[in-house]
Amino acid sequence: MAVNLKRSSGGGTAEVNVSRRRMLGWITGTGLVGSGVLSALSNFVFIKPRATYGQPQRFSIGKPDDFPAGTRITLEARRICVVREGSRLAAISTTCTHLGCIVGLSDTGFACPCHGSRFDTDGTVTGGPAPRALPWFKITLAPNGEIEVDKDIEVAPGSYLTL
Amino acid sequence: MSKAADKTSILAAVKELPGNVWKSIFRNPLPTNDLERSSTSFTNFFLHIHPVKVHKNSLRPAYTLGLGLISFFLFVILIVTGILLMFYYVPSTSQAYDRMLDLRGTVAFGTILRNMHRWSAHGMVAMVFLHLCRVFLTGSYKKPREFNWVVGVILFLLTLGMSFTGYLLPWDQLAFWAITVGTAIAGYAPIIGKDIQFLLMGGTSVGQEALLRFYVLHVAVLPAILTLMIAIHFWRIRKDGGLSRPADADPTPPMEMMGASADPKPVQLEPRKTYGLQGLVRGPLTKVNNIPDNTVFSWPNLFLAELFVFIMTLSAILVLALLFNAPLEEPVNVMHPPNPAKAPWYFLGLQEMVSYSAFWGGIGVPGVFVGLLFITPYLDRSPKGVGKWFSRDRLLANTIFISFVLANVVFVIIGTFFRGPNWAFVTPW
Repeated sequence: MAVNLKRSSGGGTAEVNVSRRRMLGWITGTGLVGSGVLSALSNFVFIKPRATYGQPQRFSIGKPDDFPAGTRITLEARRICVVREGSRLAAISTTCTHLGCIVGLSDTGFACPCHGSRFDTDGTVTGGPAPRALPWFKITLAPNGEIEVDKDIEVAPGSYLTL
Repeated sequence: MSKAADKTSILAAVKELPGNVWKSIFRNPLPTNDLERSSTSFTNFFLHIHPVKVHKNSLRPAYTLGLGLISFFLFVILIVTGILLMFYYVPSTSQAYDRMLDLRGTVAFGTILRNMHRWSAHGMVAMVFLHLCRVFLTGSYKKPREFNWVVGVILFLLTLGMSFTGYLLPWDQLAFWAITVGTAIAGYAPIIGKDIQFLLMGGTSVGQEALLRFYVLHVAVLPAILTLMIAIHFWRIRKDGGLSRPADADPTPPMEMMGASADPKPVQLEPRKTYGLQGLVRGPLTKVNNIPDNTVFSWPNLFLAELFVFIMTLSAILVLALLFNAPLEEPVNVMHPPNPAKAPWYFLGLQEMVSYSAFWGGIGVPGVFVGLLFITPYLDRSPKGVGKWFSRDRLLANTIFISFVLANVVFVIIGTFFRGPNWAFVTPW
């Protein structure tokens, strides 16, 4: 029952050897498979959360006097290390850039307990598998006199806030 | 007339009730002849997955070492103990750890069930891997078993996935930091890595959403896929002609017995056939297609062997569960990773590798290894050396494979014994 579809295009006619039944079969099959694949993919849309319940990325960490000159104080819950040198302040991430463990303070800077990455006091990689330096976060003095850290904004290493 | 009266008499029906119920469930008496032996095998729901007759080679313990069966029975133990543990577990960051303590302290059989679940999980990872090694070293992935090998590699990966998702559930230090590291490794995958990491964690950090996700994966998604793949794996064993065996295990019939002398190219008798009429009929008259028969009835040979392996597996797990308690570390402290933070032993090779490079150790090298495993049967197509351990014909393939395995073993040993605080190299003595 093969029906040769004749398609006229401009000057001549092109003959396509596809029966109507076969053509409809292809369309139906593609439609069914396509909607199956789309339905499967929509599961990933479903499990991708639109709202997450994390910690706020922007927070205040107290008055400048809480951080005496020459100290390096880690705020473990915030995963930052606040560095104060004289009147200059900075916030360095303590989340290891390798696989997300928390680096601890060491004699030479920072060291990661999970896979042995080492960083100097500025967060530059000095050894181990870490692919890049620990990021520095934007740090500002709010009008009420408290220090505010914004972990969503990274700044170049060495950019201190001068009080 | 008395017969008909018996059928309708309520008294007789009550009297014969137990026997009739029994006979309606078990249609066969205990078999006493070959016909009944075959009938038992294919009319019983739990036995009909087996062939009626099984090749003698498949029953040689030294050939299979029973590794596939042990893996399956461990999976059964894991399902039973896992469902029981679900009665008391709550996937909540505030409750999960307390529930672990409850299992140890107040729940009847709680400790031993958790121990059994943990040791079976470790055992399953080990046995599935050893089974993979057995199949490789005997060349059993070759035609026509290529696809079943692929299914087997998928089963191996699913087993690792089950073990990995199960690790988070106690919500102790090991759990938290293993998952932190594991999801971070996924983040190194090219292009979709970050999306996978986000989907796994359900957020930007490991917390309540991640725990719930790993729980659902562990108790529903992965077991369902694993069960389906095991069913396909078993079904393919039958359809691919039973377990692999050396070519000389099935003597080819002499030409005059092929019965098609008019045909210039006589059809080779299917060497994969595991049973036929000639297996059921005894006597001197069945000459058609009569080839030397190396098969035995599954009842009782195969079933007793399986029962034996099951009892040995269960006993071993019970002994382990009675002797050793499943570890439970400190409750999660999201501020302090333990130092050193070590993954379970079978992931320590991976952890050792990621301590050199996160991408190559966690994604690149394992990806290449798994990829090679998948396409092995399509690369190594020589039919030689099937069904023998360490066949000379397979020297190259076996050497490459053993090198990969040894490399991983060395990494596991380094990671286990030679790594101290801050993952620095230490000597254990």
